[in-house]
Amino acid sequence: MFNCKDSIDALLPFLDGEMSPEDEEHLKAHLNGCPPCVEFVRSYRATSGLCRKALVKSMPPEVAGRLRAFLRSKLETK
Amino acid sequence: MTDTTVQDDRTLLARAQGGDMSAFEALVDRHEDKVYGLALRMTRSEADAAEVTQDTFLSAYQHLAEFRGEAAFGSWVHRIAANNALMRLRRQRVLDIVGEELAGPEFTERGSLAEAPEADWSRRADDKILDEELGRAIQGATDALPEGYREVFLLKDVEGLSYEEISEMVGISIPAVKSRLHRARLALREAIDAFYKEV
Repeated sequence: MFNCKDSIDALLPFLDGEMSPEDEEHLKAHLNGCPPCVEFVRSYRATSGLCRKALVKSMPPEVAGRLRAFLRSKLETK
Repeated sequence: MTDTTVQDDRTLLARAQGGDMSAFEALVDRHEDKVYGLALRMTRSEADAAEVTQDTFLSAYQHLAEFRGEAAFGSWVHRIAANNALMRLRRQRVLDIVGEELAGPEFTERGSLAEAPEADWSRRADDKILDEELGRAIQGATDALPEGYREVFLLKDVEGLSYEEISEMVGISIPAVKSRLHRARLALREAIDAFYKEV
């Protein structure tokens, strides 16, 4: 039987679908009786997507201009 | 990336491989935002990100003839950018801190969660617009991760590279990649949880 710590330690293989059937049964049995861990799994799963959104950055136009000029100067001499 | 985009990339790539500079510039147009974004996230410096982007596209052009098109052009150039950014970080890094304590959930002696997550913020992950304050909190928490954890998290969860690719690039085993990823996610989850508990 898994406790909270065992369950949280197993989240990565669980979400990657790489858990043994036996461990998956243990995890599911724990989650069935532990609402805080269910909430934890939801928020753990949501973390990557939120971070991806927060960290998206576009290239500023002036940097794009410099990139073009750099590539042209390098490639035209080839 | 859509099938149409990949198909268009292939057409442009074929022309670029035949020496058409405008086709290569069109490929740069399509992929520069992603490459620059990756470089900026990894290096945390606009100047370094601009240089990594330049080096990446120059290197891509120099190796165009070797690119056979088994992978999408975007994935190929993304891997070149990740390698360039990692090399730059390595050069700058004086001390590779990997054993630092990271925030994570606390447990009782019996292994139960010491504190239940209170705020149900996971559903907000689907919102199209991210709260600016939250964005800053996430940026700060990501920057605060020890370097060995930060780079693995960014390469896997933000850039979408495979465990195998990251293991090869970073020079650690796949189990070590997974361990660092898990601990980084836990630390970032804690930071987001703390943000929602404060607001």
